[in-house]
Amino acid sequence: MKTDAQFEDADGFYEQLIDAHQGLSREESEVLNARLILLLANQIGNSAVLSECIRAARHLPGGGKTGR
Amino acid sequence: MASLKSGDYANTAFTNGYEFTQGSGYALPEYPFVAPPEIASGQPSQHAVVIIGGGITGLTLAACLAQHGVDAVLLDEDNTVGVKGASSRGICYTQKSLEIFERLGIYPRIANKGIQWSVGRTFAGDDEVYSFDLRTQSGYNLSRQPPFINIQQFYIEGYLVERIMELGHVELRWNNRVTAFSQNGQLATLKVSTPAGDYTLQARHVIDATGSRTPFREWVGASVTARKGDDRWCIADVRFTRRPPTERHTWIEAPFNDNRAVWQHLMGDEVWRIDYQMAPNADPEYVSREDVVRERLARQFGKDTEVEIVWVGPYAYRSEYVDRMRHGRLFFMGDSAKVVSPFGARGGNTGVADADNLAWKLAAVLRGQAPESLLDSYHDERHQAAVENVRVTNRTARFLRPADGIERVFRNATLSLARQHPFARSLVNTGRMAVANTYTQSAVCDTSGGRSVQNVALRFADGSAGCVNDLLRWAGSRMLLLVFGDIAATTASRLRALSTSAPLLAVQVVSRNGRATAREHVRDPEGHLQGACHAAGASWALVRPDAYVAATGTAVDARLVRQLSRAMATPLETA
Repeated sequence: MKTDAQFEDADGFYEQLIDAHQGLSREESEVLNARLILLLANQIGNSAVLSECIRAARHLPGGGKTGR
Repeated sequence: MASLKSGDYANTAFTNGYEFTQGSGYALPEYPFVAPPEIASGQPSQHAVVIIGGGITGLTLAACLAQHGVDAVLLDEDNTVGVKGASSRGICYTQKSLEIFERLGIYPRIANKGIQWSVGRTFAGDDEVYSFDLRTQSGYNLSRQPPFINIQQFYIEGYLVERIMELGHVELRWNNRVTAFSQNGQLATLKVSTPAGDYTLQARHVIDATGSRTPFREWVGASVTARKGDDRWCIADVRFTRRPPTERHTWIEAPFNDNRAVWQHLMGDEVWRIDYQMAPNADPEYVSREDVVRERLARQFGKDTEVEIVWVGPYAYRSEYVDRMRHGRLFFMGDSAKVVSPFGARGGNTGVADADNLAWKLAAVLRGQAPESLLDSYHDERHQAAVENVRVTNRTARFLRPADGIERVFRNATLSLARQHPFARSLVNTGRMAVANTYTQSAVCDTSGGRSVQNVALRFADGSAGCVNDLLRWAGSRMLLLVFGDIAATTASRLRALSTSAPLLAVQVVSRNGRATAREHVRDPEGHLQGACHAAGASWALVRPDAYVAATGTAVDARLVRQLSRAMATPLETA
């Protein structure tokens, strides 16, 4: 899993991301996020990297876990 | 008839005004009102250039014109710099602005009064999310000027006033308020109101530098692209008994400010600017009340820290730009042309760059060295910069005030990842510091040019130390052609011929072991000058009086001649 920035344009990506959610309900946003995660995961492909990303996402700063 | 009085033109509920200012304030210079001669004579006067507004933008333009030897009149509705009771506005000046001020001769005073900084730290909660040191970033470290200097805006304005009076050419008229504007193909007419009476002025070129509440947008029917926000802030300029470090600190979520953002910055006279993000529905009058401000400061710095409040100002920003920066005889400049949120120091610095961009073009046109169409490139170049600065500051504003719901979810996710992984720090946006904007849509800049040249060091033929600005002062209002490396005798004679037929100063740039063959040459042993001109591998760079590259090329040939004429928007034969 890469942890250094790989973005060509971090601010531009972030703006596009939150723009994509504009006008959506909470439920519609969740659908968008889920679809986006699956699309991005397919770009990665590598099983070990995907596993590591999932582990890292669950691990909050301070040792907590998401979904408590 | 409309007037410039504050409030009249606040067309939204959001304002960057300072109606509720509190604190002991700053002592500002006052300049004498002199009854304009037109009042006694009853005759309108005619001028080549009239500038409206004596803020940082209008005064920079006036100083640039004075240095180019162009006569102008500047009208200001007030008799001081800053705004009465609201004298603290911009604080952070970029390397590009400092380089312009160096060219104008006021940089030593700014460096002496202001505070240099290069370290910035960003916090969320009690954690430092990331930090940077601009001195270690290669983009900044070759200029004679530092990445940034923090200083109260009115100091720079005061230095500019004194410099303009030294240089001559520009008449500063205080307490002169413009009340009406009209224009035809040849001339603009301004009605002006003063304590001694009213009069009329006519001008070939009028520059509106009155600021975000300009009446000129209405007078010329300028369309505006705007984006509203609901973010509110409250500034406290303070002195401490116990000083924080000379660094820019920003909190995205400050525990001592109800988890809203806080900015902390030092400027001249040991005054600190602490800028607090308020709740969107905050009442400006309440949040700027002295006891409320003191309570807020005590929460951040502790009850034992003695604080002297110099100035307090609540504000809400707009975000907008005019769609056309030239309307016939009228040019919009600075905040008149665009208003941005304060993140990244993209407000006042953009006005300074606007002024430097138009000044040499006006000089060239008024001297008959270029046609009036050269002035259209002011819109091409500075409108692109305005759009870019609005886009960049809007992104920051959105990160700092995310909409409830998914935008806030993404920000929280970004902050928590940023504590763990370097990649997410690149998404944390507390302001992208202003840089010299690049011009890619300009009719007078080639794709090989359009970028700013840093004020790097060089050696003159006699061995004395110099810098890019020395070359630009030498060239004056002429284009500066830098020819890199050894040049053949035939090329040298071609350059001499070119210099006599066009407003051009040609200078050979001799490398470490190179041979000086042109009489006009400088030495660039480290290759810094060629690098600063973005001319690696090129044999020449055509540099404009505003320190932007118009074009670079590989041979002194017909293309160079074409690029030179393009940069002046004129065929060389008629120059």
